[in-house]
Amino acid sequence: MPSLLERLKTLPNTGQISYAGNTFSVHELITQADEIRQNYAHLAGQPIALGYTNLAEFITAIIAFDAWCSSIYLCPPNVLLPQDDLIEWPLESETSAPVTDLPNSDRQTNKPTAWYLATSGTTGQPKWYAHSFASLTASTKYSEKLQSLNWALLYQPFRYAGLQVVLQALLSGADLVDSADNEPLALMALLKQSETTAISATPSLWRQLLMTGQLSDLKLRYITLGGEIADQSVLDSLKRLFPQAKLRHIYASTEAGVGLVVSDGLAGFPLTWLDDNSQPVGLKISDDQHLMVKPRFTLCQNLRKQTDSQGYLDTQDRVEVKDGRVLFLGRATGTINVGGNKVHPEEIEQVLMQCVDINQAKVYPKKSPLMGELVVADVTIKPDVDPKLIKFELLKIAKNQLQRFEIPTKINIVNEIAHDPSGKINRK
Amino acid sequence: MDLEQQIKQAMQQVAQLSDCTLVEPIEADTLLLECGLDSLGYAMLVAQLEEDLGFDPFTELQIETYPSTFAQFVAIYQLAANNH
Repeated sequence: MPSLLERLKTLPNTGQISYAGNTFSVHELITQADEIRQNYAHLAGQPIALGYTNLAEFITAIIAFDAWCSSIYLCPPNVLLPQDDLIEWPLESETSAPVTDLPNSDRQTNKPTAWYLATSGTTGQPKWYAHSFASLTASTKYSEKLQSLNWALLYQPFRYAGLQVVLQALLSGADLVDSADNEPLALMALLKQSETTAISATPSLWRQLLMTGQLSDLKLRYITLGGEIADQSVLDSLKRLFPQAKLRHIYASTEAGVGLVVSDGLAGFPLTWLDDNSQPVGLKISDDQHLMVKPRFTLCQNLRKQTDSQGYLDTQDRVEVKDGRVLFLGRATGTINVGGNKVHPEEIEQVLMQCVDINQAKVYPKKSPLMGELVVADVTIKPDVDPKLIKFELLKIAKNQLQRFEIPTKINIVNEIAHDPSGKINRK
Repeated sequence: MDLEQQIKQAMQQVAQLSDCTLVEPIEADTLLLECGLDSLGYAMLVAQLEEDLGFDPFTELQIETYPSTFAQFVAIYQLAANNH
């Protein structure tokens, strides 16, 4: 399997990378990556924690480090590093990297690098999952048509979905403009200015772009939806505006490192894909209606322990079969997906329980046609407490400690909260 | 109270709940994304209106065109109200 650097060097054409008004050719970034390997030869074979500065430096670093360092941890800002022997890049000072006496040839170079991605949502300590360059690029392609695309990057590049866009743009020789973290109207102006022709975004963000009323000003040729469940309304609206565009929605399990690409414009995926050996991943539905996947590549050791006797891994995604389609319903773990942002109900419950006047709290999702899901809380309160005051108090606590998408959009005062026999809150 | 007033009242409620300030005045052609509510605010508004009115046109109607102005938003609710 050729490395990222080798693949880029053999491409007939490479594109351009832009962020905040700066533009670099990928050719320049390849040269800089070569310089990093020469100037910091002692990093060969080492594990790297890659901090995010800007898109050009990020891409230069992954080109330099893939198949050259033992592992790359793509670190979100302010993340706790999973182990302390990682070398943080960019280096704080020229002397901060430990230089060992080993000659370079004795260390692991040119072997597959483990790419570690952190799962989003949890505060403090994220879970890290290893991927190989081969699995990350399983669905990236090169063609003259793809090469002429102009991608907008709307996800953070150190997340799975963002990295997919970065690698697709790089390996197809297309251009890429960092457009993340903008309000919809400002984003729309940037997309128009960059003459964007390819976008990958969450269904919620697509709905916001549709609500600007200006999306049809773009000449989109490549439309991807991912990160949450794509419903038929948003797919139909995009199809109507861009009948010629390639419209795909992606289901990905970051943990398993697998992605399914659906390009028939219909929500969910065809029922015939179950037990179909030509799919990039084996699929079946468990007795409790969870989607089970069996990647064709070797799973990391952690995940191998979690597979069933046939080697299938539980994605914890609930599904139903309807009219020949397998439709996604939500997470079995109770995790709430608010426009692509994951919310863990237990964490919100703990925050609400800080209010001395409540006995119990249960946080769960409510379906939303605009954001996928919203956070709702049921609470039981102590006797003689004014329900109105308590709602106000809970909101105050929540606003002080939670991110906006985590704050319950509705608080119901109830008489009882159901528990299962083990005493845990019933999340079904 | 007519439907438009009800929607404006619900917008006010959601704005208060999410510490947003609505623009004044909101006219028929005011862009939704310039009213003062963000995307999460609109999701909350649709949930609030579902409770107030008993229906959610975005789920029921398979939206043909997503609204971009206040008048278009009201029209979607009017259409759903007529169906009920």
